[in-house]
This record gives sequence, structure tokens and C-alpha cells, in this order.
Amino acid sequence: MNIKNTSPIAAERHFNLRRRQFLRGLGACIALPAMESLSPFPALASVVPATLAQTATGAPLRTAFFCFPNGAIPSAWWPKDEAGPDFAMSGTLQPLAPYKNQIQLLGELDQKSAEGGKDGGGDHARGNGVFLTGVRLKKSATDIHAGISIDQAIAREVGHLTRLSSLELSCDPTRPSGACDSGYACAYQFNLSWSSATTPVAAEANPRLVFERLFGPGAAGQRTENLKRRQQEQRSILDFVMEDAKAMNRRLNGRDRDKLDQYLTGVREIETRIQKAERFGATKDPGIDTPPGVPQDRAQHIALMTDMLVLAFQSDSTRISTVLLGHDGDNRSLAEIGISEGHHDLSHHFNSEEKIQKLKEIDLWYAKQFALFLKKMEQTKDIDGHSLLHNSMILYGSGNADGNRHTHTNLPLVLAGGGGGTLTPGRYVKQGSKPMSNLFLSLADRMGVRKLNSFGDSTARLTDV
Amino acid sequence: MGAFLVASGLGSQAAPESAGAVEFREHIQPLLKEYCYDCHGDGASKGHVAFDAFDSPAAALEAKDIWWRALKNLRSGIMPPPKKPQPTARQKEQIERWIKSASFAEDPLNPDPGHVTVRRLNRTEYRNTIRDLVGVDFEVDKEFPPDDSGLGFDNIGDALTLPPMLLEKYLTAAKAIVSKAVPSTPRVPAEAILAGKSFKPAANQTASTSRTNTPPPPGSFSYYEHSGGGSRFHAEHAGKYQLLLDFSAVEKFVDNQFDYNQCRWTFKADGKELFTKEFGREGNRPFHFEFDQTWDAGDHDLVFEIEPLTPDKKQVRALTMRVDSVTVRGPLESGHWVQPANYITFFPKPVPAGSSARRRYAKELLTSFATKAYRRPVDRPTVDRLAALAEGTYGLPGKTFEEGVSQAMVAVLASPRFLFREEGLEKQRASTGFPLIDEYALATRLSYLFWSSMPDETLLRLAGESKLRANLAEQSQRLLADPKSAGFIKNFSGQWLQTRDVDTVQIDARSVLGRETSPDPEFEKRRQRFRDLRDKGEDKLAADEKKEIDDLRAILFRPNPRPLRAELNGDLRRAMRLETEKTFEYIVRQDRPLLELLDSDYTFLNERLARHYSLTNLNIVGDEMRLVKLPADSMRGGVITHGSVLTVTSNPTRTSPVKRGKFILDNLLGSPPPPPPPDIPPLEDAAKAIKDRVLTLRETLALHREQPLCSSCHNRMDPLGLALDNFNAMGMWRDQEKGQPIDAAGILISGEKFTDIKQLKHVLVTEHATEFYRTITEKLLTYALGRGLEYYDVATVDAIVARLEKSNGKASVLLSAVIESAPFQKSRPASANPPSKQEASLPKHPELKASP
Repeated sequence: MNIKNTSPIAAERHFNLRRRQFLRGLGACIALPAMESLSPFPALASVVPATLAQTATGAPLRTAFFCFPNGAIPSAWWPKDEAGPDFAMSGTLQPLAPYKNQIQLLGELDQKSAEGGKDGGGDHARGNGVFLTGVRLKKSATDIHAGISIDQAIAREVGHLTRLSSLELSCDPTRPSGACDSGYACAYQFNLSWSSATTPVAAEANPRLVFERLFGPGAAGQRTENLKRRQQEQRSILDFVMEDAKAMNRRLNGRDRDKLDQYLTGVREIETRIQKAERFGATKDPGIDTPPGVPQDRAQHIALMTDMLVLAFQSDSTRISTVLLGHDGDNRSLAEIGISEGHHDLSHHFNSEEKIQKLKEIDLWYAKQFALFLKKMEQTKDIDGHSLLHNSMILYGSGNADGNRHTHTNLPLVLAGGGGGTLTPGRYVKQGSKPMSNLFLSLADRMGVRKLNSFGDSTARLTDV
Repeated sequence: MGAFLVASGLGSQAAPESAGAVEFREHIQPLLKEYCYDCHGDGASKGHVAFDAFDSPAAALEAKDIWWRALKNLRSGIMPPPKKPQPTARQKEQIERWIKSASFAEDPLNPDPGHVTVRRLNRTEYRNTIRDLVGVDFEVDKEFPPDDSGLGFDNIGDALTLPPMLLEKYLTAAKAIVSKAVPSTPRVPAEAILAGKSFKPAANQTASTSRTNTPPPPGSFSYYEHSGGGSRFHAEHAGKYQLLLDFSAVEKFVDNQFDYNQCRWTFKADGKELFTKEFGREGNRPFHFEFDQTWDAGDHDLVFEIEPLTPDKKQVRALTMRVDSVTVRGPLESGHWVQPANYITFFPKPVPAGSSARRRYAKELLTSFATKAYRRPVDRPTVDRLAALAEGTYGLPGKTFEEGVSQAMVAVLASPRFLFREEGLEKQRASTGFPLIDEYALATRLSYLFWSSMPDETLLRLAGESKLRANLAEQSQRLLADPKSAGFIKNFSGQWLQTRDVDTVQIDARSVLGRETSPDPEFEKRRQRFRDLRDKGEDKLAADEKKEIDDLRAILFRPNPRPLRAELNGDLRRAMRLETEKTFEYIVRQDRPLLELLDSDYTFLNERLARHYSLTNLNIVGDEMRLVKLPADSMRGGVITHGSVLTVTSNPTRTSPVKRGKFILDNLLGSPPPPPPPDIPPLEDAAKAIKDRVLTLRETLALHREQPLCSSCHNRMDPLGLALDNFNAMGMWRDQEKGQPIDAAGILISGEKFTDIKQLKHVLVTEHATEFYRTITEKLLTYALGRGLEYYDVATVDAIVARLEKSNGKASVLLSAVIESAPFQKSRPASANPPSKQEASLPKHPELKASP
């Protein structure tokens, strides 16, 4: 292919085209008639309760949590209209207008555990660390203590159904040196998912590595075999290191032992993965090029990462995911849309109209990227003929409401997807100042999680979603 | 001591009061009453601290965290606040002494060394350790997630977690590393590697006609011109060969500018085209291709050609194709096979035939490997398990002995004994105080401090002979003299002074430089009109006004195509980082006074950075960073005038005097301001009152400081930061901003006046050396130990600071004092609790648990 047109737009198109070529492979995969063969689910239907992460039609039910940084300008986020089905999408959420019938705008949900109180500053560390945990964070640079996050709480119950019990993604690959927000450990500010109060679940930012995790390393056609060989070799290694770890654990105490416990947990998790691989049989190689590493262009990065997520959901490799679009307090600029100031610096706008305008553009940009993901979810058919979006629950929001003032009530939240028919999208709902953890309980219910009676600072289940 | 312990019990009436409690009641409390109760007593409890809220003098003794903070505030002059009555020097000393001896119960002969939580190798340490262990450069930045740091460093045991995903990556990495490093068979096809540089342009091709200034280095070919390069391979034997092509599409980083050029890239062997493809901007991506060839004996020509496809496009990012290498593998026929290059490194003897001899050989190899990898002798059961693992593989049909040993090596690299730095203790009698860490642990602490890597054979041998402690000074010097000590220079200074961030910090050169031109009245008029229209509310505008605001928006926010005076590109970023690293390195290696980090008459520059600093008359030519004596009137010298520090403490579009001031307080003077209060009062109400002109940053901050809530911290930060405001957000000198002259004069909260940065540096060196010594000691101790400092470390830090003051602050004194200190040499066993960590006193003052 020779590009004759020499305008920058054409070249940009060429760049996009190459990503599309990658996606076209994905498209071919979507078009496969024997889509069920990608999913291990039907084979399992008899051995698990019919409602566990499953829709009424027997398709997998997925949940994902997207987090964008620094809140959103409230006046541009919330509709002017009353709650209900007849509302006009506000400026920031314009990109979501085509999916209005498949999203609900959730108003008046709070994360009060992220408020300062006696701990003082650190609203970005808390905004991020509390977002999916709903607990107060221990204010310390080294003594990390948060709580299990909702995605991991759900994964504990339904994770055994899929090859990967959950998939943590990040579109924020570099970290500044120096201390993090106001004496809080950096772990709070960069991790959404927590498998326990002391163990953050690191997210993957490299699209290539996500792909290799899902389908194996190497060229198309060889990946299944590569993955199988890798796992077989790992087995004997795991036996050896487990014994090393146990012996070492006997020599250690206190905090030292906690660190070793993290290692042991990791070993057990890989063992489970290998057992699952045997149970589920060979992976289905999607037959497309392995994506490249982290692109410099941020929209491209998000597009590739969400491609990976669609692929993971479509192949039923996992049903739980978190996507960190940017950590709370993120100060990257968005030169791509002509905004050279740092996002966090801007977010303290002190009512400067110019800054507010730029923030609206940033908020809009994030909404656009999310809309592109929804589009892919909408266009991908699930095994029951519905769209993936119909059979999913995707929360999109931020741990700060108003970044200027660091508020954590009435958080900007959008719940997309039909939950396999269990959600009532197409509305703007005001929840009446309730903890966001209440929503988590309701999502967990739909995922078939039975044992969760309370979560974080929850007071009850959210009845109207 | 005994009496003290009884008194600190549960307030038993019968117990006699300890001397410390008596002193508190009789001498300390009256001082607190006089100088502190205004805010921290008599019903007041600012910052949730009240010095009269203790149940008893004995309870006061136990509130160590409060006293620790009080000590820091007293020493740094933060408390009592400067405007309040101040205790005399003697009274201050009395309080300090009481805190240290009575409350902290310091025992100078046996200080509590604390306990370091077992440390996982961080990404950098892993990479270096793998390099030194097996000779493979593993790209940790691409393969592993970033490490969580704590207290500003990424080697803190408590902060380094091990999420399950990372363990999975460790397993994958171990396998990849061993397959790359360790030969799997004793004989392989020969490989000849033709380096990228050997691909030279053909003789008839002229020199660069490119519009870029510098021609690409050998082996690299610009997208912008037609060129090529060839190399020749001489085949000794006819046969089947494989060609392995490795090349990368490279671009120089230029902020916010894209380059849409494309090229056609072709590879030919003996004139026959094997490969041709179009490339655009690929983000420095490497490419790999393989081709099979059947060759006769004799010379074979291998040629790359590049052809521009977009001659009219703007050339910004200096796109090039770089040939990394071409590997010729063959002949593939087994008769010609040779021993792999590094075979002897891993398998020094031929593999014996019998199975028990093989097992013995495997054990021998694995004992040596695991000892190095675990950084201490490996026990026999472990070796037996490793040998069994190896045999489990090489015993299989079709598997070689080497593959079996490799598999065991993978297990070693995945073991927690490799990934974590477990420390042993010396055996000793109970009465001799806190135990020393054993010599292997000491060897490991030393090597990771100086090299960010594993101990070498010498260190392990000395530890094995129990002679390391006896030769500590000599070994420290040897480690520092080794080139691997670049690890210490880079990782410590890069994090302490945050120069690591200069590679990624986002600075918009256009906005930064734009502030230095005088305002354009036409532009300002338009902007004012835009604001007026917008303030009306966009939904209330008439149709023509709507059109007007849209037009204005298009004009005001359109991208500006003029070329820039300076850009923060990759070369400049690198030069900035190196200036600080080299300065730190020079001071450490030449054993200079540490105060030269604050002020010096020299720095390190190359041509690019000298130009950036407008030091063009020094006649510095070329890329290499070198020691430069600065002109007498230069404002440069000292890290706060380095481009690196100035840039990483700036906002993307402008300087931030607040961030710069905070940087100095945090990292050089050791008195970090508390985080800003949750509800920052808006500036603009006050600022809006002044309608007729735009306020300078100095004026805006002055307004901010008028708010009592802000003044206590900003009075400390702002003068420091404003003194640096002659340096723009990219570290370039300027005399004015937006047409208004810059005023760098100020007065520190401690009272010293200065008119410019030169004088401020002088004030810091002459009046604040002690604070600086204490800060660098605390930073280095934190880095060396991998843990945060606690109240019981005050004694150690004070002793090191005293040594520094006596020795003119020599770098070597700091390093040896840290290495000789109790926390570095000893350990409190993990099972033992801190001597008197009173969790019970915490709920009353939870905010005091904040990190030091």
C-alpha cells in the first residue's frame, strides 16, 4: 500500500488503519460462526449454579470498572433535566449519546471514606485507593492498608469460571519519582484493584503483554502450543519454589512473613491457572498479529487496551476487569487536543473560565475514548445473539467529583450495559446520597455473588439500578 | 532504666517517678507552658497536639511520636512560629536533650537498629543482578510493572509488594533469561554477528544532504534521503545459512510534534531483494526478520537501502532506520557445528557419560550457581532438589544435560531466596545488645547500596571467611571505585533529587517561552473580548456574537507554527539529568564537601546544555558532559540551579515557585511543609479586585499568603521558590516575564535576607549547613536501609551529622558513617517489638502517624 496523499490527516489515517488492520483480525474472529467454541462456558453450565456470572440466556455476564482521573466539571457532566428517562446528555457526555439507551447516569453516589477528615490532605491518593474499595486508607508511606476491592471480591466467587479470574489494565504506564500524595504510599494512588487490604493487584499497561497473557506468546498459530509448553515447564518450577518459600516462611516473622505470603499467594494462583488450562482445554488463538508495545499516542494506547478487553470478554477469558485510564492526580497533559497544561494542575482551576473550558475538553476526551469502547462492545455479538454490551455491566467514573475542591460526593458515574437484561438503562437516576458501595453490592448480586452482605461502607443494596 | 520502666507502667500510685518524668514536671513542662500553650495547651490543641493532655509525666514520656515531631519542628525553627516568643538556645537544648535521653531513652552504646522488612529486588536491582549473574540485559521496564515507592525511594521493603501478576512475570522472565544466557547443547551452528555500524554507505554515495543538521550515525539511515549501506560476509564453507535481521525504526523525542514521513526499507543479499516494506513513525519499535539462504563458499554482500516516500512533509522527529545487527548463522549442516561462545562460562567441563557422574556434575554446577544467586551458601537439601529437577528434564528422551541444568537454573531465579533479600544474624551471647547481621547479609547490603546489584565473588569470599567486617572501609572503597557504582550515583541521586523525572516531565516549550515576550495588545484585546462574551453565558449570546466567539476561539487557540528558540527534546533532557548525576558523582568520587551540592563554582555541561544556559562563551563543543568552571558572575552552580531540578519542579506551562520552594524544604533542608488543607480558599476573589493589569506570580502568591491559613507554609516555601524565578520552566535564565521584571529578592522565615539566587545559595551554605547535613543523612540512610526512619534513629542521624560538621562535610565521611552505623550493621530480630512502640498513645493523635 502506497500512501500518495501527503496531508497529515491522511498519514494519521494510515496510522489508524494499521490499528484497524489489527482489529480486522479481531473482526474475523467475531465473525466466526462457531463462536461457542471460544467459550468454555456451555461445558460448565451443568456444574455451576445457573446464575453465577451468567445471564438468563446462558451467556457470560461481565463486569468492568473504568476510572478516569481528577473528577469532571460537574456543570458539564450532569444533565440540566430531572431524573428519569427523558434527559438530554450533557456536554461532557455527548459522545455517549448514541448509547443513551444502554447506559444509566448514576447521580448522588458517594465515597465518603475518601474525604480528608482527620487525615487531612491526600484526596488523590484516597480518590484512587477508595474508588473500588470503599474503605478508609491507612495514612502511611510504607504501612499499606486498604481493603479488598469490589472487582476482586467478585472475582473470588466467579473467577474460577474463566482462564483468568480477573484482568487489570492500566493506560498510565510511568510513575514519577519522589513521594506520592501527602504522605500516602504510592500503591494507593496507582492501584484500583486490591486482592486484600495489603496486596494491591498491579495492572498491565503493555498491550502486547496483555495479549500474550490471554493467548500465549509467539506468532499466530503457535501461541496455543507455546502457552501449553510454558505452563508445563512452570509446573515443576512451582513445586521447587513452593518448598523454598515454605522453608523461608518458617524462618521469618511479622511483616517479613506478610511479604512471603504474597509470594505464596502468587504461586497458588499460577497453579490454579494451570489447572484451569487443563480443565478448559486449549486456548483459541485469535489468529491476529500480536499488538505492539505501549504507543506514545494516548488515544491509541487506550484504544489498544480496550481492544484487549473486548477480546478477553469475547473469548470469555475473564468476566472481571478494571481499567485505570489515569491515576487520580494524573498530571499528564493532552497535547493531542492542544492542551499543554497538566491535567491535575488545571483541575485546581480556581474558577478560571479558561481552565474550566480546558478541563471540559479533557473530560470530553475521556468520554470519547470510553464511547469508542462501548461501540466495540455494542458491535461484538455474544453467544446468545445479544451484544457484549448487553451482557455486561461497565462502570465509568472518577474517585473525585469536583477536582477543584476535592469532593467525593455525587461522584461522576455512568453505568453502561444491560447486565444481561437485569439493569434498567436509558435513565438518569438520582440515588439520594448513598454510598457507592451500595452499588457494588447490587452489581455483585447480579454476578451471582452470594456471600456478600456488606462491602466497604455499604449501608444497603441499591434497589434502583 | 529500671525505675523508668516501672514508672511507665499503668500509672501505679506506688511506683516511684522516673528521673525523666521528674524532669518533665519540673523543667520541661514550664517551658512548654511558656512557649507552646498558646496553641498546644490550656484548651487549645492546634494540629490535634496539646502538651497538657497527658495523664501523667510518665505518659508524656511515652508519647514518642509527638516528641519526635516536636524535635523536628524545634530544630528547623518551625515551632514556635517565628513571630512568637522564642526559647533561648539553652532552653532549646534542654528540651532536645530531654526528648532524646528521657523520652526516646537513647542508649548511645546500643542504639536500637530497627528492623528492615525483607526486601524484594526492585526492577533496577533485578536487571543489574541478572546482568552480573548470567550476563543478560533483561528489559525490566518493558516486562515488569513499575515498583511502588515509599518515602521517595523504590527500594523500601515495606512498600515493595509482590502482586500475583508479578510472580507470573518472574517465572516467564526466569525462563527467558536462562534460555538466552545458557547454551542448551554443546554444539551449535556457528554464528557471525555483523554489527549495525559495519553497514557502510557505498563509496559513490555523497555525504548527507538532509535538512537535518547532523547526519545519522553509522548504521543508521535517515527517512528523508535516498541512501543505503552494505556489509560483506565471507563464508568459509558452502551450505545452508540463516540470516537474522534486527533493525529498529528510531525517532528522536520532540514534545508535542509529530512526524508523518514514511520510507521504503529494503534488504538485499548478493543483489537479490529479500525484504522490502514501508515504514512510518513506529515509536522506536524493533523489528526482526529471518531468511534461509543456500550459499557457496566465498564473499556475500548484504545491503540495506532506504528511499523517502514523502519528500514534502515536515521533518521534525529525525526519523531513522537503525540496523542493530545482521546475524549469519551457518552452515546449518551439523558437521560444521561449533561450541557455543559462552559454553565454558556455564559448563566448564565436558559432560560426563555415567548417570551418577552426571548427577555429581549437575550438583557441582548448581551449588555454585545457587550460591551466587541466593547471595549465601546453599544447603545440601536444596542442591539435591535442584539436581533432581535437572535430572527430571535431562532424563527425558531428546533432552540434553544442559537443558536439564537450565531448567534448575530457572527454578533458582524464580525462588523467593533469589527475589527477596533475606538477612541472617550473627550468633552472639544475649547480653551484648542487638545482634549484628551476618557477613553475607552485610555483603548484600553493601553491594545493593553501591551497585544496586548482587555481591561479587570477592565480597562472598570475604563473608565466607568472616573477614568482611574487618575490611569494611577497604571494601567500601573498592565497591565505590568499581564502574558498577554508577548504580548508586544514578539511583540515589536520581530519586533524591528527582532527576529521573526529567526524562518524562511534560513541559510546553511554546507556552513557557511565550511568557517571556511582552504581551501583544491586539491579542490581549481579543482575549478580553472572548472572556466578556463567555462570561455572558454561551447560551445567552445572539447569533452574531456566537459566530464571533467561535472565530475568537479559533484564533486564540490555534496551533502556532513558528519555530521555537528552545525545545525540551531528548538530548537536552539527557544532558540535564547528567549534569546533576555527574555533579553528585564528582563530589562523591573526589570526596568533595557535600555543601557543593548547594553551591559551587563549577558544573557539568555539554554543548547543548551550555547553549541552553546561554554559557556560549565557554567554548564547549560536542556531546560529552564535562567539568566546567563557571564564570564568577554566573548564577549557576548547585543543584537548585540545574535544569533538571528547575524543570521537574515546574508546571507544564510556567514555573511553580511553590513546587520549587517545597522541593528545597523537602529534599535539602528536611522540613517538608504539611500537605495543603482540603479546602484551599480561592485566589481569584482577591485577584479579581485588581482589574487593570495581570498580576505577576509574585503578586498572586503574596495575595495568597495574606490568608492566615496559607501563610504559615507559604512564608517558608515562597521566598525560596521565588528566588529561582529567574529560571524559567525549562531552566533557562530570564530577566522578565510578560514584560515585567523578575524580582528574586526575599527574606527567609529564619530571618536572612537575599537579593538574588546567588545570595540565597550563600545563605543556605553558611546558615543552614546543619539542616542540609541532617537531610542528606536521612535520605541516604533511608536508601541504604530500605526503610523509613523512626524516632530511635535520631541518635544515629545526630551522630553522623556531628561527624560531618567536624570534617567539613566530606562525602566519604557520610558514606562511611552510614555504613558503620548501627542500623546498617545490626538488626532488631523481626519477632521482637520495638522497645516501646506505644500503639495505645496513637488514637489520641492519629495524624501524627504521618510519615516523617
